[in-house]
Amino acid sequence: MQAIPIITFEAANQLLNALTDYLEKSEASFALVIDRGGSILSQHGDIPAGSDMTILAALAAGSYAATRELATRIGEADFSTLHQEGQKMQLLMSAVDEDVVLVTGFGPQTALGLVRFYAARAVPQVAAIIQDARAAQRPAVPIFTAADVAAAFPR
Amino acid sequence: MAIVNYVNKEIQFKVVYYGPALCGKTTNLTYIHGQVAEAHKGELVSLATAADRTLFFDFLPLNAVVIKGFKTKFQLYTVPGQVMYNATRQLVLRSVDGIVFVADSQWDKMEENVESFKNLQDNLAEQGSSLDQLPYLLQYNKRDLPNVAPLHYLEYLLNNRRVRVPSFEAAATTGQGVFASLNAISRMLLQKFAREHDTMAGNRQQPAAPPARIVLSGIAAATLRR
Ligand SMILES: Nc1nc2c(ncn2[C@@H]2O[C@H](COP(=O)(O)OP(=O)(O)OP(=O)(O)O)[C@@H](O)[C@H]2O)c(=O)[nH]1
Ligand SMILES: [Mg+2]
Repeated sequence: MQAIPIITFEAANQLLNALTDYLEKSEASFALVIDRGGSILSQHGDIPAGSDMTILAALAAGSYAATRELATRIGEADFSTLHQEGQKMQLLMSAVDEDVVLVTGFGPQTALGLVRFYAARAVPQVAAIIQDARAAQRPAVPIFTAADVAAAFPR
Repeated sequence: MAIVNYVNKEIQFKVVYYGPALCGKTTNLTYIHGQVAEAHKGELVSLATAADRTLFFDFLPLNAVVIKGFKTKFQLYTVPGQVMYNATRQLVLRSVDGIVFVADSQWDKMEENVESFKNLQDNLAEQGSSLDQLPYLLQYNKRDLPNVAPLHYLEYLLNNRRVRVPSFEAAATTGQGVFASLNAISRMLLQKFAREHDTMAGNRQQPAAPPARIVLSGIAAATLRR
């Protein structure tokens, strides 16, 4: 298991740029970069009204992990994307690396082929940014100390 | 490991409630969801069977205390306790930061408690982790029932690793001990985070914080509905 990246301003900007570009070209509705634990690393676009990104991410991570596990168990080693089709919305999930997944939501305004094509181009970009973020030096100043935590939990 | 987002000024932790079938993991989350004010919680999502047994997981996102301008977020998950769902338990455990092990205090559940605790350690080992690295605590649930084992026996059975961890008596259906457990695991996670971050930042390592005298505060005080 690799270290989970720290989202610095730089990494956040790069991810946002990559996702903006990807959504523009693919005409998809929203894109999420999540870690396999279900946490959001970056998000862009319009999510369906009334839905909560945090929950979408947790469910997507679970669904992706379960399908991938299923695939492995039937001897399908090279499993990298997962497509789900509903009445109005479709979801495409693409493995970025071992720990990160790109989730794309789109409606009838675009086509699966187009989204797939641009997702395949977005994945290596996102992977490179995540890779850099993992390697990046952590900020020198601690966010908070043990004393700050103690103070936040009064007796 | 926790995810730090410098842009939103957020730190996210993943907490998993683990334990044998029917020990009360889902009941913990349901109680928390019922008590926390709207602004501090998301929806409680349960992937369950028709009979209300957890099939994949329950999920509840919480926004807790703000420390030094950083919002702390805790994502609470439960695993399915039934033995046959081990593959799903392994998936839910991925990238876990801290664990609340819920034991069923009833005498006839002792074997299942021990089995589940061992299963937890096996599953952690499988993902290259262990209880030596992860903050965890024990919650002895269903203390309201008549046929429960005494505390010292549960401690002897489950809290017998090299480092003893905090443990709590609970009755999740009435809420007893639920926030005390949540509060303690949150605090343990934040303390660990502060220590590691300090070390990474090249500061001299501070002496480990004394084991917290756990009181119902922090998360609970900040988020409880009045
Ligand atoms: N008396 C009593 N009953 C409890 C307590 N906690 C949970 N229960 C009951 O035990 C049953 C199982 O609780 P759940 O929370 O669904 O158990 P679980 O651990 O999520 O079970 P799985 O999803 O199968 O792993 C329910 O009927 C609860 O009402 C408690 O503290 N006291
Ligand atoms: Mg359950």
